[in-house]
Amino acid sequence: MNVAARMRTNPAFRFVDQYKKLFIAFLLIIFLFLLGEVTVSNFLSFAQLLLTVKLASFIALFGLCQMIVMAGGGGGLDMSVGYTATMTAVLTASMMDGRNENLWIAMLVALVIGLAVGVANGLLTAYVKLPPLVVTMSMSLILQGGINVYTAGANITGKPSPILQIMAAKSIGIFPNILFILLILTPVVMILLYRTKWGLALFGTGTNETAAYLSGVNVKRVRCISFVISGILSSFIGLLLIGNMGIAFKDMGSNYVMPSIAAVVVGGVSMNGGDGNYIGVILGAIFLQTLTNLLVAMGWGDAGKWLGFGIVLFILLIVYVNDIRSR
Amino acid sequence: MNKARTASGSSTLRKLISKPEFSILLILVVMFTITAVLQANFFEKRSIVRNINAFAPLILLTMGQAVVIIAGGLDLSAGSALSLVVCVLTFVMRKASPETGAWAILAALVVAVLIGVINGIGIGYLRIPPVIITFATSYMWLGAALFLRPTPGGESVDWFKAFYDFSALPGASDSLKAFGSWMPPALILLLLGCLMWFVMKRTRMGRYIYAVGSNGNSAYESGINTAKIQMQACVINSLFIFLAALFFVGQTMSGDARMGDPLTLKAIAAAVVGGIALTGGRGSVYFAIVGALIMSFVNKIIFFANIPYAYQTLVSGVIIIVAIAGSQTYTLYRRRAMARESTLA
Repeated sequence: MNVAARMRTNPAFRFVDQYKKLFIAFLLIIFLFLLGEVTVSNFLSFAQLLLTVKLASFIALFGLCQMIVMAGGGGGLDMSVGYTATMTAVLTASMMDGRNENLWIAMLVALVIGLAVGVANGLLTAYVKLPPLVVTMSMSLILQGGINVYTAGANITGKPSPILQIMAAKSIGIFPNILFILLILTPVVMILLYRTKWGLALFGTGTNETAAYLSGVNVKRVRCISFVISGILSSFIGLLLIGNMGIAFKDMGSNYVMPSIAAVVVGGVSMNGGDGNYIGVILGAIFLQTLTNLLVAMGWGDAGKWLGFGIVLFILLIVYVNDIRSR
Repeated sequence: MNKARTASGSSTLRKLISKPEFSILLILVVMFTITAVLQANFFEKRSIVRNINAFAPLILLTMGQAVVIIAGGLDLSAGSALSLVVCVLTFVMRKASPETGAWAILAALVVAVLIGVINGIGIGYLRIPPVIITFATSYMWLGAALFLRPTPGGESVDWFKAFYDFSALPGASDSLKAFGSWMPPALILLLLGCLMWFVMKRTRMGRYIYAVGSNGNSAYESGINTAKIQMQACVINSLFIFLAALFFVGQTMSGDARMGDPLTLKAIAAAVVGGIALTGGRGSVYFAIVGALIMSFVNKIIFFANIPYAYQTLVSGVIIIVAIAGSQTYTLYRRRAMARESTLA
């Protein structure tokens, strides 16, 4: 038995190999914080870390929608998440009007919007076989158009219900509440994906569509459902978003679309499907938020932010996608 | 005998109708007719020129996009690449010194080719899914464009107007103005693009682009350097983007780092409407022009339908989805019908 083979059977090595990408993401975050501490003073502190996590949590939440859609393979991608969230926030703001009694109406509306967007995306991609990217991009155009129409008629009035504000904006001691939502959500997602039949079918579809089909998985339905889940989730994230911001405005969600996809890439989740470790996505979101903070602190502004995002994505894609291929 | 001949005659007609090209041209004729009816002065020379000017950028981008899609890729960065090239042009140029225009064109051409090469390395050599890698690069181009031009603005040399309208050119002779009135610069740029593809399609590379797009593995096994071909397709795309950028700067005389963004999706949608299969290897770049024309006419019809401004994003989104879903359903339906026919025979 040669050295490489012995290493492969070593459980410690296998553990590292399996979670290699998580380690990379984690090390990248540490590297950024150290870099920030060296170049900008007062960058590395516990309070700063918690603030970063709080800001990153929305990227991580949108990243969850993205990850579920991507896990199904077939170029799955949901560009409409941010716009669905905005739509929900804008429409429910006046319904809630800052009162807890009206929260259930808002949740009902959120469910309907999410369901409608998700079902439309799912049907068009899975059954009509259109590329997800084009479908969801057009869907975001439609949603943005709807928001434009709504806001052209009247100003957006109303406030989120206090419960939402407590969930999204307030904190217990120094720990922001939204962190607890993430902490509860993570095991739920992991169990859904790794321990249920549907999760298995989703990963199977993403890994090898034909093999999944031949094993009796309804590939189209699985992919369609993944888009429905993404739609409903992003719609409810819209409620949290308005809870965090206190008001609703026209492009409150659209800025999260790009980071949510980037977070999934940085987190080491394969974009070809069949894979989905949510912890990686959360780490990816924290990394991106730290990068943004750093670039802003260094005074690079908008240009540096997008350039940095693009270059980091490009490099990580090169690093992660090298596990291909015969030819 | 006689009966057989009539049957074959009707089947020729049916074959003609069943071709996807036929339905695309039919849609174009319908859109053209509706626009001609709605726009009172549609056939006047001036409004024809105005229409060509309005349609040219989308057509150029769609042709470039079509080349990449046929080669088995997809370019999501086309819009921001266009913005970057425009920003480079207006960054280098100084209104006071006309010779900076030449430097600007050179710099823009270099940047455009570089954009194509980087996209091509990602798609071809590293074989990262095209959607993802061009998504990443689109933010690199956006960031770079924002560096050059944080807010819309910039200046341009006067003779750049020649890319938009000959009569706006200072010191233009009457014969040039007369030439420009029936041959606007936009049309010349379009013809240049067509000529470029006409020549390239006839080279070995042109055929390889189709081969790589329709089946990458067998193309590779037949000895084609697939990565190089895909990179060349990306560079051809950026040449089309470069032509569109020249037109834009000629028109607006300024740059904006976000001007190209809405065009990306429109160009992809137009290519799909023009019968380019997103799976690669199928479709014609000239029919991409038809697709872009259809989308442009639809936009015009929306304009004439007096839809309030707030509704325009909504309507154009719905139309893109309906157009793509329609052409896809039609293709699926045709394929199924053809399969049924072949099993019957």
